Order: sequence, then structure tokens, then C-alpha cells
Amino acid sequence: MRIKLDDDRCQGHGRCYVLAPDLFDADDYGHCVLLVDEVPAGREDAARTGVENCPEQALTLEG
Amino acid sequence: MEAYDEGHSASSSLVVDLASADDPRAMSRMLREQRVHTIGDLFHLLTRRDDVEAALRKPAVYTSRPGAVQLGNIRPLIPLSVDPPKHVKYRRILDPLFAPKHMAALEGEVVELVNQVMDGFTGKGSCDFHQDFAVPLPCTVFLRLMGLPLADLDQFLEMKDGIIRPPGTTMEEQEPTRRRTADSIYAYFEKTLAERRRAPTEDLLAQIMRSSVDGVQLTDEEILDICFLFIIAGLDTVTDSLDCIFGYLSQEPAHRRQVAADESVIPSAIEELLRWESPVPAVPRVLAEDVEVGGCPMKAGEHVMLLIGAANTDDAGHPGVDTVDLLRNPNPHLAFGGGIHRCLGSHLARIELRVAVREWHKRIPEYELVPGTVLEYTEGLRSLHHLPLTFAPTR
Repeated sequence: MRIKLDDDRCQGHGRCYVLAPDLFDADDYGHCVLLVDEVPAGREDAARTGVENCPEQALTLEG
Repeated sequence: MEAYDEGHSASSSLVVDLASADDPRAMSRMLREQRVHTIGDLFHLLTRRDDVEAALRKPAVYTSRPGAVQLGNIRPLIPLSVDPPKHVKYRRILDPLFAPKHMAALEGEVVELVNQVMDGFTGKGSCDFHQDFAVPLPCTVFLRLMGLPLADLDQFLEMKDGIIRPPGTTMEEQEPTRRRTADSIYAYFEKTLAERRRAPTEDLLAQIMRSSVDGVQLTDEEILDICFLFIIAGLDTVTDSLDCIFGYLSQEPAHRRQVAADESVIPSAIEELLRWESPVPAVPRVLAEDVEVGGCPMKAGEHVMLLIGAANTDDAGHPGVDTVDLLRNPNPHLAFGGGIHRCLGSHLARIELRVAVREWHKRIPEYELVPGTVLEYTEGLRSLHHLPLTFAPTR
């Protein structure tokens, strides 16, 4: 499972990195930075939580 | 998808009512039956999640430029009323100052301020939550953040209310107070900037004064236009959110106990109650070009209200959103807006709300609305006129 970030859509709501701080982080502007490309085994639910809570649909899961 | 039908258009009081309604969810449900409501010739309401989201993501079409809101300001508010491409340059300055990591450093101070505010009434066993807690807290935090004297609290409350809640019921009646108050806001910060140049400090205002766009330091006017926006966007909205959250919990004992029993519930409880209550029920936009939504033509220059509250309870594609679930996941609500104008202060607001809910329930886990109270919500932004609570007196 891979996470994809659309930088143009991210507006810095900060939901992803608060909910799953091992997968998502914030840059200096509060916008999302991916910490992983491939979701580690056992962290699929956390990835889904981070992705699905984004109000801008800036994050998607593949695979 | 309904065709545009002027026969079903809403009345002009609908947006105001959405904030002050006892049950805005019921009103939102009714409004969503039609994608667009048109009021008179110039004013439209978008009611559904998909349409509100789409509009938020097209800031060049649904602009937030001057005229979208009437707030007494003589120049565009920065960054709210600035269009792309200049907008992002201001956000690049301000976003880091309000970024979560920066705001997290304030938590200790907010804990202290919340407890100081509570010290004023815990021994009495009762308070008007609105007046005694929800009003002073955000303003006190702001003064601390900006390095301004706490003695200016009452003056700040007057400035915010003079713009957001001026006396009178029509724009014409409200205009003189708005104008006078706006002048006083500009004058206050002009004086403050002059003082800061004589005696520099280190706080949020100092950071803004040092900032530059394209290598050019911000002018005094730009700094004033940022400060003006802080006052009208950052103070009342947190008061509204506190009123909404505590108004809800005081009437829903099961949810109050859930929050009091386990503080790990608090972050998601706050997201859910922001969604459910939508303290800012709508955001205004002005069209830069002609568009059509659901067969309804809307012309350049016309005003569109994006009904955030209605979008947040729209169950199309989001089943179950017509009930409160403090552990809701996912909860991609739009209570802080969306798109490029997403609330700059959202991370500060979240810290204030989280600390307020946590510290309150540590000290006062059991409380209730004074029996016989009927809660009345204010127009425009959803705060309470009064929120009288009783509880066992404590230290």
C-alpha cells in the first residue's frame, strides 16, 4: 500500500499528521510531508485514517 | 439534481437564522433539498457538500475579495481578501507563525490562562460560561501572543464586538459603529507599531513586523490590515466554538461523561462538535465570472454564501453524519473552511479548545445547565447570549 500526496490540494489542515504522526509530518508551513512511501505492515489503518480525514482530498492510497 | 426553481427560493433571513437556529441541522436539511437558493437578484446560497467544496477550491472564481464581507475596513484584509497570486505570498509569511509545531509551544501558557479564568468562578459553583469563560479566554490568549497588555482586554472586546456585533438590525444602522470601531482598530495598532519601533519586543507582532514579501518589508498598512483581520477572525470564532461545545455538552450528559472520563477522547470530540455545531455556519464569496450550479445561473459580481454547516451535515456520500459520534473516524469536516483561505488560526483554535475542554473537565467534571434555561444563539456567528452553568463549588 502506497500513500500519494497532491501538494497543490494540501492546505495545511493538519489532520493527517496529528492522527498518524509516524506516517505524515508537517513542513514549516504546516503542510503535509510524507514520511513513508510504502505503508509499513500493520499501519494500514493509520494510513487510511490520515488519508480519509483530509478535508481537501489531497491524500490517496494506492494498492 | 434539481433544476433551478425561483419559486422555492429562500427568504433573506435564512443565513442569519442558520446561526441562531436552535436546530441548525434541521434547517440545513431543508436547505439542502435544493442545491442553490437565490435571494433577490444578487445573492446565492450553496447548500451541499460537493458544491461547497468545489467552490472553496476555485478561489479565482469564488473570490474572497473586498465586498464579500462588510467589516468597516478601508483596505483589503490580509490575507483573507487578497486574491491569488499575491495571497500565497502573505500565507507564506503567516502560515509558519501559526503552524502546529509553533502553536504547540503555547500549550503551557494556555493551560495557565484557562485555569486563571476558571479561578474566577470555581468557588462559586456557578458561572455564565459565555461571559465568564468563552469571551475572555481567546482575547487573553491573543493579547499574550501579540505581546499586548492584558489591561487592554476590554478595549479589544469592544473592537471585536463593534465590528462583528454592532447595534442595529440593518447594514445602514450598523455602519456608523463599524466605521468608528474600524478607525479605533487602525489607531490602536498604529500607536502600537510606533511603540514597538521605539522599544522592540519578541512576540508574534514582532515577527510580522520583520516579515517581507518579495524581499520588501511589510508596510505599516499591510501590518495593520493583518492585525485588523486577527481581531475579527481570531477572537469571536473561538468564543463561538467554546459556547457551541459547552452548550452541547451541558445538555448531553452521556457525551459530557465520555469526555470527562477519558481525556484521550477530547481531540476527536472537538472535531466532531465543530462539525456538528459549525460555529461559522457560512463563508461569503464574490463571483469573478459567470457560473452555473445545478442549472442556476450566477453572474460575475454576485455574492455566494457557502453554507459550511449544511455541507458538514450533508449525508450524501457521508452516511451517519446526522448524529453525534465523539469518536467519528473519518471526519473530514469543513468547519475551518477549505481551499486557500482555510482558517489561518485553526491550529491555535484547536489548542485553545482542547486545553479548555481538558482543564475544565479536570476541575469540573459534573455540571449542568441552570434548570429552566433556554439557550439562545446569536445571529451570523454561532455563539450564545448566555450559558448559565451550575456545579459543585470547588477550589
